[in-house]
Amino acid sequence: MTAALRLRLFAYMLVAPVVLLILGLVAYPFLFAIWVSFTDQVIGSVGRFIGFDNFIYLSKSATFGAAIWNTITIVLVSDVLKLGIGLGLALLVHQALPGRGLFRSVLMLPWAMPAFVAFLTWRVLYQPLGGGINLILNQTGLYSGTIDWLGQRQTAMSSVIIASVWRGFPFWFVSILAALQTVPRELYEAATVDGANRWQRFWSVTVPGIRQVVIVTTLLSSIWTANAFEHVWLLTQGGPSDATMVFPVLAYYGMQTQRIGEAAAVSVYMLPVLGILVILATSLMMRREEQ
Amino acid sequence: MNETKWSRRKLLGTAASGLALAAATSFPMPAIAQGKKLTYWGGLIFSDDANKLLVDTINAWGAANGVATEVVMINQNETTQKVSAAVASNTMPDALDVGLDLLMLLSRQGVFSTIDDLYTKVGDAQGGWFEGPAKATDTSAVAGGRTGLPFGVNGNLLLRRKDLLEPAGFAEPPATWDELVAQATAVNKPPVFGLGLALSNVGDANLQISVLQSYGGRIADDAGKVCTIKSEATRTWLTWLKSAWDKGLFPPGNTTWDGAGDNQAYLSGQAAFIANTGSVGIAARKDDPELFAASLFSPLPAGPMGRISPITPQSRAITKASGNQDEARALLEYLANPDFMNAYFSVAIYGPVLKAQESVAAFNGDNAILAGLLGLAKAGTAPGAPDVYNAAFADFSANFVVPKMAQRVVVDGWDFDRAMDEAQATGDAIYAKYA
Repeated sequence: MTAALRLRLFAYMLVAPVVLLILGLVAYPFLFAIWVSFTDQVIGSVGRFIGFDNFIYLSKSATFGAAIWNTITIVLVSDVLKLGIGLGLALLVHQALPGRGLFRSVLMLPWAMPAFVAFLTWRVLYQPLGGGINLILNQTGLYSGTIDWLGQRQTAMSSVIIASVWRGFPFWFVSILAALQTVPRELYEAATVDGANRWQRFWSVTVPGIRQVVIVTTLLSSIWTANAFEHVWLLTQGGPSDATMVFPVLAYYGMQTQRIGEAAAVSVYMLPVLGILVILATSLMMRREEQ
Repeated sequence: MNETKWSRRKLLGTAASGLALAAATSFPMPAIAQGKKLTYWGGLIFSDDANKLLVDTINAWGAANGVATEVVMINQNETTQKVSAAVASNTMPDALDVGLDLLMLLSRQGVFSTIDDLYTKVGDAQGGWFEGPAKATDTSAVAGGRTGLPFGVNGNLLLRRKDLLEPAGFAEPPATWDELVAQATAVNKPPVFGLGLALSNVGDANLQISVLQSYGGRIADDAGKVCTIKSEATRTWLTWLKSAWDKGLFPPGNTTWDGAGDNQAYLSGQAAFIANTGSVGIAARKDDPELFAASLFSPLPAGPMGRISPITPQSRAITKASGNQDEARALLEYLANPDFMNAYFSVAIYGPVLKAQESVAAFNGDNAILAGLLGLAKAGTAPGAPDVYNAAFADFSANFVVPKMAQRVVVDGWDFDRAMDEAQATGDAIYAKYA
């Protein structure tokens, strides 16, 4: 055995524990879930291979169609709102304002708060009777009636999105703020010397400087939002009338019926889209590291 | 006044624990293998006293009999997920509390040991089993024997505010669903609403299956094979529901309530009527004695086809893979003893399953909730009845097809035919899976 081969084997031995760990903790459950989605497994049974039956059954369900539409809606609208709020606040805090350190900390509170507490608090705020939002509307005279924020189709989805955005925007804020701090000040000074106004400096210097971070943040946030369970579950359980049904909640209902194969199929349905997002996010992050 | 009641309850709990400990020592077990640990998964209920009593009793029994015990109390909403993971990973406890769905499913999969002799022994010692829980938990057809030892039944009772209803001229509970609406209408003065019934995607909303059935509607045919949800009887139920909705009898938010929505509505004084298993009564007794004193319990109302008031039996079962079969059987036999069960019933929200339990102090009529649960145990209808309670019915219920049909009508404004068509299509797909 040559010295080079021995060195190579030694290297493989060093990485072997990590590879085994990843295979055991990531690859096996992942592949097992895919396998289960092609079986009729229920609790306590191994299940038998049934091909695409679970997927066909799901695709014919009205609830499944609602879950697709709602998941896309929540992801897109949430991302746009989080981008707007996160970018706006990051630009504001990036200025030399008095007390901005405290302001930054306060803005991180929604992100630091456990999701369970955050969304139950929002649920209380949305209560039609005695809830904080209706109370404010009534007390200020803006509206004298009772709005059932979560219980009617017209307002349920927007209510869920608002709560979701509130909890998620700090991640965007802190990511964009970090990116802003990496943009060289000299670029702004050069642009100013060249006669660029505030908007032109933002468009020509700030945006290119933070673009990649925003793209990665968008991808990560999309993946997390699409996979998020607690915001919908704690606020509406997917109702009323499937108005806020999303994939993770649908998968949970599959578990409730004890049909593990069906529940796994719901999750596997999401895989292609999430897989593409994951690959894009990973490649962009790696490219950024190389740069 | 609060102090007195609290002290009495604490006294009862303490006495029960002491009794359990003393009784445990008088139940010596035959041929115990020493040095093993027996794991028991108990089902958490809305009574801290009952949960503590169960844990203390099992541990006291273990200490008295030289068996190391570990009791893990499981949120019953999460039992399915935990059992699912435990079965897959071969980490099931030696014995556990189990609801009817899981008992039937796991018995069919051969997860539980058959305990016919234990079932017979306990039954013979206590005057026999009530017919309802006995029939409902019979797993002989799917497991070659009985696998569950029933220990209590629960189900819905109608809870009403007499302080609102009696001044309005309603001293008696509503006998029919139409009477319920009439009484609810009379006291409906927002922010107090007449009907605190959930119409959301939670188990409480499946009460509407019973209402639908009492109007003659059926989920499936007599064989339990073909979904028959679209019918004139279902239309009649939808008419009843829509009429009540249009009168503004339901509190806002009830289409997205979670499992505690009706509890909160009643406890916060927003509902004159709710249907509940008794947990609200326990909470009111503890936190709002005035409300508890103003509350009355009665059976669910009837429809044109009679009263549909399903019982839900809870059982204890032994895992077939357990290495502590003898110990687990001895524990289950011990937990069925009248002294412990009387103490447990006094603080829990279960009705009796054994005829001799009818005469224990807990069911002497002093406690309105337990009196209602006794009536339910004796006269309640079988789970799912008049439909066949099979895997398809359980799947149908777990998908909240009936509450969703109600939501289509009251939230989305769909006409009855469209809502029934969707429910029928969903039901067809579900029942086809089990054909």
